[in-house]
Amino acid sequence: MRDWGIVREGMRALSVHKLRTFFMMAGTLVGIGGLIVVMAIGRGTGEKVMKRVNNFGPRAIMVYAGGGKEMGPPDMTVTTLTLEDAEAIRGAIGRISIISPMAWNTRMSLKREASQIRSVVWGVEPNWHEAYEWYTSAGEGISAEDVATLARVCLIGKTVKEELFGNENPLDGRIFVNKVGLTVKGVLEERGTSPGGGDFDNRIILPITTAMRRVLNVEHLGAIRLITEDTRYMSGQVEALQQLMRQRHHIIPPQEDDFRIITSIVVANLARGISRTLSILLFALVALSLVIGGVVMMNILLISVGERTREIGLRRALGASRKDIFIQFLTESLAVTLLGMILGSLLGWSASLVLAQSTRIPVVVSWQSFAAAVSSSLLIGVFFGVQPARKAARLHPVDALR
Amino acid sequence: MIELESIEKTYQSQEVTTRVLRGISFRIEDGEYVAVMGPSGSGKTTLLNILGCLDKPTAGHYRFEGTDMVNLDDNDLSRIRNRKIGFVFQLFHLLERTSSLKNVMLPLLYAEKYPEDADQRARKALEEVGLSQRILYKPNELSGGEQQRVAIARALINNPSLILADEPTGNLDSRSGAEVLAVFQRLHEQGRTIVLVTHDRSVAEHAGRILELSDGLIVREEKIARPRDARAEAASQAAAEEDR
Repeated sequence: MRDWGIVREGMRALSVHKLRTFFMMAGTLVGIGGLIVVMAIGRGTGEKVMKRVNNFGPRAIMVYAGGGKEMGPPDMTVTTLTLEDAEAIRGAIGRISIISPMAWNTRMSLKREASQIRSVVWGVEPNWHEAYEWYTSAGEGISAEDVATLARVCLIGKTVKEELFGNENPLDGRIFVNKVGLTVKGVLEERGTSPGGGDFDNRIILPITTAMRRVLNVEHLGAIRLITEDTRYMSGQVEALQQLMRQRHHIIPPQEDDFRIITSIVVANLARGISRTLSILLFALVALSLVIGGVVMMNILLISVGERTREIGLRRALGASRKDIFIQFLTESLAVTLLGMILGSLLGWSASLVLAQSTRIPVVVSWQSFAAAVSSSLLIGVFFGVQPARKAARLHPVDALR
Repeated sequence: MIELESIEKTYQSQEVTTRVLRGISFRIEDGEYVAVMGPSGSGKTTLLNILGCLDKPTAGHYRFEGTDMVNLDDNDLSRIRNRKIGFVFQLFHLLERTSSLKNVMLPLLYAEKYPEDADQRARKALEEVGLSQRILYKPNELSGGEQQRVAIARALINNPSLILADEPTGNLDSRSGAEVLAVFQRLHEQGRTIVLVTHDRSVAEHAGRILELSDGLIVREEKIARPRDARAEAASQAAAEEDR
């Protein structure tokens, strides 16, 4: 009760000297605003990365036909990736739980009666379902028998279903791909849009043998998907894979690889982009502005203690103890930083909302940002407030009243 | 109530040692009105600071209501200042931009427990000094005499056993000075103990006893048989001003 009165006394001084209070607060306000925005961007990027990695498969390693480092579909002009490569990988690389080779064509037109749609054709083995954890929502998946018998069957994505079948039941319906008639065996679960804007559901899945020999007429694969038993083996496996593939494709280092290996780590790094470097830089700026704000506040408070020497002396004469004076002045610094924190949080929050609305920067404001705002402003209030408060408390009442 | 025994105060600054008080002994009884008089530099403010527990003597004993003050720490002294002593300063020392009422209530902030009737008490104290009409005025809206009376009300709010006034009329014209002294006179009549420090003999003569200080020693002690009547002076000053 007694201390609360003294705390109020500290706050009263702030409301009396509004301009001074504003200058003391400015650094914290800007710093906390920045902190909220930077953390929101960090969090947004983190979630984006997480989403991409989960989309890709956290334990997945993709070997694509065609060189380069970019993400994206296989290079269909490269014919060197084969089923034999997949077999060799199975023999040479340990601790891989799934190896799923895929034939691929990204530009195929599907026909049914008068309807037509351009779609992506995948030829897969039965383990494709486990490799992508992608199953059918209706009908059956690709079976070993389908592959063995070059069965004229297919699974279709939701978009294909809607475009070709509308409201009709697609199961056992017939689709023509490259003049080959296929029976719809199942409908794939819906996956939505890819981070790059592509439609996951615009695809058709065939048994790999059917795809290679009946539809696409190719001997090569588009990609091989590997699922590692554990992500900690991944970097070793990638290295071994690279060597194996170079050896099998007779590539001597200065020569460019005719394949590329993409892992969830690569995906994460690509998704992060420059945001990591940028956020370190921004964090440094935020920290700098908080510290500068704190120093400015401390100096204004020190000057104010000097100006208010008489007031301090008077309070001491009226019975204030050193501790009372200390509390009063520490209250001033804490109230300033907390007020700056509240206004800065509002500023940062609205800036984050504006960013989210008007740019493509991923922004997610979380309660952690506010927790960080509260704790950093408290820290600054105490750290930079202690010295002025101590100076005030140490004044000798006799000297202060003179 | 107050007992001083060979009080000494020495200030040490680098090579120079200044002996401000060189052995002061006296007693003040309950309900006395005492003036400490002396030229500037005689040590009277230092003496007042020691009496008010704002400063500690270098040597000697100071007993206040039977307790030896010399051994108390800063917190104890703060508590005693708050509960037992009311200060009135030459420069009033009111908080700017703060109403008379809030100024008067300030000492209550440092009381052990904030009284529930703080507001009433402050109003009553302001009434006692004749300022019931100025409760919400701020210092810059008050005359010097009124400001000093607010300060006196502030000194009274914790009902102290001792009132210490350091040149309370030093910054006032003679009429306001007389009014302030009239307030002290009434407080004395109510039985309060007052110690007033001044360099002005005509001010000191309002007290019942004068201690004359010179160069850190009490050189003369004088009982005033018939103290001057501040109330009458204030009244005649007011009348004179109205005639003008």
